[in-house]
Amino acid sequence: MKTFSKKNLRILKEIAISDFKVRYQNSLLGYFWTLVKPLLLFAVLYVVFSVFMRFPVENYQLYLLLGVVIWNFFAEATSIALRAFEAKESIIRKVYFPRIIIVIASTLTSFLTFLLNMIVFFIFLAVSDVGFSLNFFFFLIYVIELYFVILGVSLLLSVLYLKFRDFAHIWEVLLQIGFWMTPIIYPITMVPESFHRYIFLNPLARLIEYSRAVFVLDHIPEATLNINLLLMVAAILVFGIFIFLKFDKKITEWL
Amino acid sequence: MAIKLTNVSKKFKIPHEKRDTLKESFINFYRKREYVDLEALKDVNLEVNKGEFIGIIGRNGSGKSTLLKLLANIYTPTSGKVKIDGEVSPFLELGVGFNGDLSARENIYLNGVILGMSRAKIGSMYKNIVQFAELEDFMEMKLKNFSSGMQMRLAFAIASAAHADVYLCDEVLAVGDREFQKKCLAVFEDLKAQGKTIVLVSHDLDMIEKFCDRAILLDQGRIVTDGEASEVVAQYKA
Repeated sequence: MKTFSKKNLRILKEIAISDFKVRYQNSLLGYFWTLVKPLLLFAVLYVVFSVFMRFPVENYQLYLLLGVVIWNFFAEATSIALRAFEAKESIIRKVYFPRIIIVIASTLTSFLTFLLNMIVFFIFLAVSDVGFSLNFFFFLIYVIELYFVILGVSLLLSVLYLKFRDFAHIWEVLLQIGFWMTPIIYPITMVPESFHRYIFLNPLARLIEYSRAVFVLDHIPEATLNINLLLMVAAILVFGIFIFLKFDKKITEWL
Repeated sequence: MAIKLTNVSKKFKIPHEKRDTLKESFINFYRKREYVDLEALKDVNLEVNKGEFIGIIGRNGSGKSTLLKLLANIYTPTSGKVKIDGEVSPFLELGVGFNGDLSARENIYLNGVILGMSRAKIGSMYKNIVQFAELEDFMEMKLKNFSSGMQMRLAFAIASAAHADVYLCDEVLAVGDREFQKKCLAVFEDLKAQGKTIVLVSHDLDMIEKFCDRAILLDQGRIVTDGEASEVVAQYKA
């Protein structure tokens, strides 16, 4: 059976959308929470690092908000996808469709949240004194790359978690470390030059830095940098798919 | 031929000690893990013709459900081949993907899509589904506020709207009150009349005798008897 047949795509869409509806349905503020959570984090960080301590960055609020929104998408999407099979256990045990659909649906649900968050960013952008530029369209490429990094990592985590439940904790810790090791709240210029090569081994660091370059500094990163990033993203996605397909048939039995 | 199983075996590896965490794996790394092989199905050969209504009976743990899950492609066989011709509709359990926090209407679409229908198709059958389930006044209510009987009625109504060539049923006929059961049975008679292939797993021997042309008796993962439904039931009772 074809993985992306019409029928499977319908299932994908249905699961992604109904999960999005349910995720915020029982709360008073509903979808509003998708905006409040990153905004609160942003507000606290902004007060600490712009009022208490000062980073020498122009338009720091845009700089910070973009970093927080991108990181939040990555952290939330992967943490939820990690347990995707557990959450859909009742379906998996009773109906067959390619299991990869479940992980894709889970990450797409998080993607919808990300889109809502980006609206907030664009509002901030509109009221700032940074003008509109055609360079912005380059950001679309970064968003697609970001999604594929998330999908690759999610595919890997979702099967590893079934084998070893520890991965829920391991991933939580890694995300904590990642938050501080990625230039989200501090500008990369504050990091000593000799560390840059290590920092940029992390595709999230690149995605965040390059997106900022496009929006806040209004310039497009060099071609070699973009190609390196693309190769990195491709490697992560291929590795994720490879590991996933290796264990694909075992998923029902490991649940 | 609608279904063809050739030398199908299914083994489950049940670890003696469960090792679910990394710590346990590290500590016991040098020790070889001991498994008990549970052979749920052993060398099963089965051919089902198009339009046959076949019943599967046997005691608990004889491999009935495993067989059905292999047919539904939920499990892959350890060895052997499973071949099915046409669309399969698993009635293994009703209401797959039902979500209590969504309204009944939304759940019809969700469940229907998972069963392989398109939204447009469900839309065109929506009225029939609701009428069949006798839940016209409750469609905007959240599903979690339904009684279990109402949920099952809705689920059966959706499942019977899904068109397939091969139907796999696991004890689903015991749905709802007497009146509704009658309606469910009518659906099965209708499917039978349409010449659909149906595999029915049940402990209800009367029903097997009444509906099935043919039955197989499973015992410890093997097919013991395969033949006329009434004869197989008689042998099982003996």
